[in-house]
Amino acid sequence: MPQLRVERNDAGERSGGHEHDHDFSRIFGVETEYGVSVTGTEQPCDAGQVAMMMFQPVVSRARSTNTYLANGSRLYLDVGSHPEYATAEARTPMDALAQDAAGERIMARLALDAQERLRRTHGEHAAVHVFKNNVDSSGHTFGCHENYLVRRSVSLKTIERELIPFLVTRPLFSGAGRWTPDGFEITQRADFLDDAVSSATTRSRPMVNTRDEPHADPDRFRRLHVIIGDSNRSQAATWMKLATTHLVLCVIEEHQRRGGISPFASCALADPGAAIRTVSRDVTGSAPLALADDVPVERERTALDIQRVYLAAAQRFVADHADDMDAILPDAAQALELWEQALDAIAAGDWESLAGWVDWAAKLRLFNAMRRRHPDLDPARLAQLDLEYHDVANGGLFGSLTAHHAMRELLSADTVRRAMTEPPADTRAALRGAFVAKALETGAQWSCDWTHATLMLPVRADCELLDPFSPEPTDEWRRVMALMG
Amino acid sequence: MPQQREQGQTNGAEETRQEETARVAPQTDAQVDDLDALLDDIESTLETNAEEYVNRFVQKGGE
Repeated sequence: MPQLRVERNDAGERSGGHEHDHDFSRIFGVETEYGVSVTGTEQPCDAGQVAMMMFQPVVSRARSTNTYLANGSRLYLDVGSHPEYATAEARTPMDALAQDAAGERIMARLALDAQERLRRTHGEHAAVHVFKNNVDSSGHTFGCHENYLVRRSVSLKTIERELIPFLVTRPLFSGAGRWTPDGFEITQRADFLDDAVSSATTRSRPMVNTRDEPHADPDRFRRLHVIIGDSNRSQAATWMKLATTHLVLCVIEEHQRRGGISPFASCALADPGAAIRTVSRDVTGSAPLALADDVPVERERTALDIQRVYLAAAQRFVADHADDMDAILPDAAQALELWEQALDAIAAGDWESLAGWVDWAAKLRLFNAMRRRHPDLDPARLAQLDLEYHDVANGGLFGSLTAHHAMRELLSADTVRRAMTEPPADTRAALRGAFVAKALETGAQWSCDWTHATLMLPVRADCELLDPFSPEPTDEWRRVMALMG
Repeated sequence: MPQQREQGQTNGAEETRQEETARVAPQTDAQVDDLDALLDDIESTLETNAEEYVNRFVQKGGE
């Protein structure tokens, strides 16, 4: 998109600031922790063993369970035997979605490869399951964290007050759904979240993590690390989760620049933790949520009311910036349309019409149909169906949904395949990806993180890549690449 | 939404276009073509021991 760069440079020169200080460009990233289990083995075998088997090819190539791939993403084995995949930096929700879908495929490949080896020692029925969900069968939870690069002018206080009400009510269309013995929930995570904003993630689970690692110029950006979200299987839900959150952040950033009363002042919640538990148990979106004491006039609002405030502000923002929308959010009109459709359908009690793209609605429709078919259905069967929906390795359920046109896909199989090896072309990830690809090809010894690429052998050399928006080779990067031959 | 039925079957030209631009289809409310066939399909692939399938999945926690 060559003309975008010109626009941004103009804006930067006019005000004497940096590129991107005055536009709405953003870096998106999704970190997904996967759960692992194994069934059908003739001898005992636990998830930890299987996770290590999955990572054997990674270890033999990278000498570590923590590595970066040629598509610019990070692949590693996290605490508690969670395989984790963090997408490379993307400029659009669609690119982030493609990277995330590539992650599913990469995990599936690792799992099926491990399964093949496992069957030699543990019997032909051994099956490795890799769950892209957020809760295991005994209530341990793990995350799908979204990262948004946000201008430094947006304070944590602002995020807490203005973004949290959106994040708490967003599950109406972004919730992955969960069967529990006590009833259906539209989110996986509601029962496991505590404070709205905090610096820890393992001891207490906040909704937004404040660990400030922008992986970019820290004077200009912060990285907003959103923990509250569910892992989605639906591509449209993943895309919508990122696209709508982006639009809300744009409105918040614009308000920071212009001043005045925030359009979201009337949405601040008294108790976000209690609110999301209410939202999670209410498929009508109409249960009252208590507002903060200093919100004028109103004492409570429903999830639908709150979402409508955010949707209206996003619609105004898109209308005001119509000429720049291709740069700010491609397909913004479709995002707004789907968003409005979702709220209208839920308001009309017609959540079932969302089953083609909202994960929780797809699941609930399926569970209800299964219960109609088998009135005495074993609850374990429902729990199994719920997990099966998220199994990217051996799960047949989600594939059946797409095969029967019950679940929409936004990406072609080719796009996903390409994203497994190709980084987004318009971010720093292009440089990292090319570095990793060349290092693997030449057998160099190397290491990487989000802002560095380091060569250890044949010679030691390092380059820093501090601008996540830039795919332009730097002299340092060229030098490192040249040293590999 | 009368076009729902047709959306299930995209023709070749449409598919190519989708691939090139990766644009979002304005209506993503796909309509299942036959719920009973879908349920048959799902039931035929489920592991028989639901209890084992569910209980084997115990993770140590992460994040």
